[in-house]
Amino acid sequence: MGSAHSVTNEITPGSVVGTPGKDGVEILGLAKFLFIVVQLGLLTLVLRQFQVESSAFLRIALLAFAGFTVHHFLPLSYRLPFFVLLSLAGVAMVFGMESGVWLIALGLALIGVCHLPVSFRVRIALLLATGFLLGFQRGGWLDAPWSPVIWPILGSMFMFRLITYLYDLRYEKAPVSGWRSAAYFFLLPNVCFPLFPVVDYKTFRRNYFDEDRYRIYQKGVDAMVRGVTHLISYRFIYYYAVLAPAEVVNPADLTRYLVSNFLLYLKVSGQFHLIVGMLHLFGFNLPRTNYFYCLSSSFTDFWRRINIYWKDFMMKVFYYPAYFKLRGYGNTKALVLSTLFVFAVTWFLHSYQWFWLRGSFLLVWQDVMFWGALALLVTVNSLYELKWGRKRTLEKSSWTVRDFTDRALQTVGTFSVIVVLWSLWTSESFSSWLSLWTALGPAEFSAAGVAVVPAFLVAVAVLGAASSDGSDSVSPDKGKRKLLLRRSTAVTWILLLLLASIGIPAVYTRLGPTAANMVLSLRSDKLSRLDVAALERGYYEDLTQVNRFNSELWEVYMNRPVEWLDVQGAGLTRFTGDFLQQEMVPSMRSATRFGTISTNRWGMRDQDYERRPAPGTYRIAALGASSVMGWGVGDDETFESLLEERLQLELAEEPYTKYEILNFAVQGYYPLQQLPVLDKALSFEPNAVFYVATGRELSRAAFYLADVTRKEIAVPYDHLRQIVYKAGIEAKTSETDAIRRLTPFRSEITSWLYHSLVKICREQGVLPVWVFLPQVNEGPWEEETAPAVQLAEDAGFIVINLEDVYRQHDIDAIRLAEWDEHPNAQGHQLVAAALHQELRERHEIFFSQAAVRPE
Amino acid sequence: MDSDDIKDTVKRYILREFLPGESPEALTDSTALVTSGILDSLATLKLVAFLEEQYSFQLEAHEVDAEHLNTLPDIANLVLSKST
Repeated sequence: MGSAHSVTNEITPGSVVGTPGKDGVEILGLAKFLFIVVQLGLLTLVLRQFQVESSAFLRIALLAFAGFTVHHFLPLSYRLPFFVLLSLAGVAMVFGMESGVWLIALGLALIGVCHLPVSFRVRIALLLATGFLLGFQRGGWLDAPWSPVIWPILGSMFMFRLITYLYDLRYEKAPVSGWRSAAYFFLLPNVCFPLFPVVDYKTFRRNYFDEDRYRIYQKGVDAMVRGVTHLISYRFIYYYAVLAPAEVVNPADLTRYLVSNFLLYLKVSGQFHLIVGMLHLFGFNLPRTNYFYCLSSSFTDFWRRINIYWKDFMMKVFYYPAYFKLRGYGNTKALVLSTLFVFAVTWFLHSYQWFWLRGSFLLVWQDVMFWGALALLVTVNSLYELKWGRKRTLEKSSWTVRDFTDRALQTVGTFSVIVVLWSLWTSESFSSWLSLWTALGPAEFSAAGVAVVPAFLVAVAVLGAASSDGSDSVSPDKGKRKLLLRRSTAVTWILLLLLASIGIPAVYTRLGPTAANMVLSLRSDKLSRLDVAALERGYYEDLTQVNRFNSELWEVYMNRPVEWLDVQGAGLTRFTGDFLQQEMVPSMRSATRFGTISTNRWGMRDQDYERRPAPGTYRIAALGASSVMGWGVGDDETFESLLEERLQLELAEEPYTKYEILNFAVQGYYPLQQLPVLDKALSFEPNAVFYVATGRELSRAAFYLADVTRKEIAVPYDHLRQIVYKAGIEAKTSETDAIRRLTPFRSEITSWLYHSLVKICREQGVLPVWVFLPQVNEGPWEEETAPAVQLAEDAGFIVINLEDVYRQHDIDAIRLAEWDEHPNAQGHQLVAAALHQELRERHEIFFSQAAVRPE
Repeated sequence: MDSDDIKDTVKRYILREFLPGESPEALTDSTALVTSGILDSLATLKLVAFLEEQYSFQLEAHEVDAEHLNTLPDIANLVLSKST
């Protein structure tokens, strides 16, 4: 390590605490320090109350705030080493000692290669070779001796910062400091944030304690408080405002969809504010990361505001070098080619970043479309500005009514185009995106809905016109600059006090049930109803479109092992080519991470049974999906298996000598698939059929009808065909549109299904039982439970409602993983016990001779 | 050619090209040009072209940053260092 004394920037004399003979300065300094500490105390309270980010982040925040109180009193030469040690302690705190040491050792090795006493080209070659080696390990093509949990953070620390570090190293004249280099790469908050702003090395070095340190600290607190506000606002939008494409039916919905979808970026801007704010506490006077990006007045302005660090990184490493190489061809050509080059590189680096964070490549058409379109818009905008210039001011006082109007219209226009482009970027498919625009056709919507669009546009226009373009900070008037700083601090205090007080149960419970529930929901981090649905769908098919860095689902998937779906790879199912689409492969046995999965000769995940039950046997056919099939548990751990064993032990004397439960469930099955399964199940002559519903029955039934229609799979049921006809869907209808059109028929489809199942069972003298098995985690899926229960009762099912089976149990103790909320072995035991109790308590209903088929 | 001459020339250029109508007193030695966004990438490239033509030197891509162009004194220092 080099000497920390090589830090060249000095703190201002007035900010030095403990200067001999300057009691006034000392007291003033202490007061300013305490002023910061009080704010950090309030911020800690808010972080705890609202569970901002992960629990790891709270620990890191506490470490940083405690470290700040020590760091502040250290002599300047000790501060950088102290920050490095604090950052390394943070790594160990989050990853544990072994993984932490690996991460630090790998990082130091990479930094070491940058400083080998060989030519610059050789160092680049060595780094590339090291990068390829690590890349092979990251991709899983080579084994690595360290835990895979360190990859995202290791990648985040080095994938971009190494580039800018090397760039500066090549041209840097300032002496290299080992402490500074280590501080630059192991930045304390990075350990919790895989998505990290690309901090420029030269800026990092130059801005270190480059102004009054209390001002730097205050700027840090301001940034962190704004970050928390962004993140809480994000939660509100994520939980309450975001719509699925299929839910967009009129222009107001469309506006809501477009705007809320774009505003999810608050997650990233919030994190970036938190990160940069925390670094300010240690003297790194870094520039802002985002600046009112919703109020951009042109596409170039948007590019300058949305992710300022990325823009600066691109300018420095790619744009200017490309422009200087090309300017021999003329300024305009050089400008156009350099701009297009920057966006092409941005697109590529997006995938490169994804690789280091997730271990796979992200090459999707949405990325190409988005970056391509933005490149064209920015290029055209740049050419316009090149010819006509851009209005800049040092002070806003020169604005006229004409300026104000122009700015308002430009802001609305830019915002409208950006949200449309953003919706294309984040859409699941092009057809899904196109189907959004059918909402602009004739539709019924409320007066309130009509008002949403113009009201929102007016708000954007006024705010855009009134907003500063950043020139306030360059006002030559010192008094005005001071006033702005005080205003910023006042806003910080107001936000802190507001958030801290509203997060107190005694306060928010007095706001009325609606507001209290909303605050309560904002106090915790969870998946939205749409992401829960996407996660469920992704269990088996990996269909989930997790291609956005700022999605909650992406964070969940970040932790998921690449091979989590190894059961799918084991070839458990095969295609049938009819309405059923798939079934389990008979006589198969596969060892998985969950335990053994085996099927019998009939294709059931179960032990072997004869087609006809032996005399004196009470046979139950269980129909369902993954939770019944036993996704994530071994053969003898499914609740079906446990229940069968228990019935056999405890009830075998009365009046049957043998109890059998045949498991016909298949992972990924939807409600409508149970109709053809029932035909198969009845051939095994059961006494009862247990149809197990696991939530979201109505929407899943409609989804499957849309799915088979779009795949041109023949629907062998007249009533369903009529519904398809009435809904006006066909093979070429997009999935989004098909679901939207079938939504009004959800109850009818489910009701028809239930009545059909009951009718067939009754005709065969089989007892139809409808079992409701909830998901392990509470969530918006519960909205469909009551109507589904009602439909089941109306159809004539015997209903067993197990909706409380998982309540009062620690979620982590009964589910497979954060990214897979199927019940684990303990969860299955709970279900078996609850079902057993129901069967015992309602013995007469289920086991009386009269209730079941005649011998 | 001294620092003040350069600052004066560059200041007049910036006021004419990027801040038309702005009071000359408002643009001071401490006004941040790059970090405040007054010199965005296009304006920076225009300024570079002006400096190269005015003072007959060539800038390198890595010199186009806040360290060299953020204030009038920074620009003057850059010009002086390139001219010697």
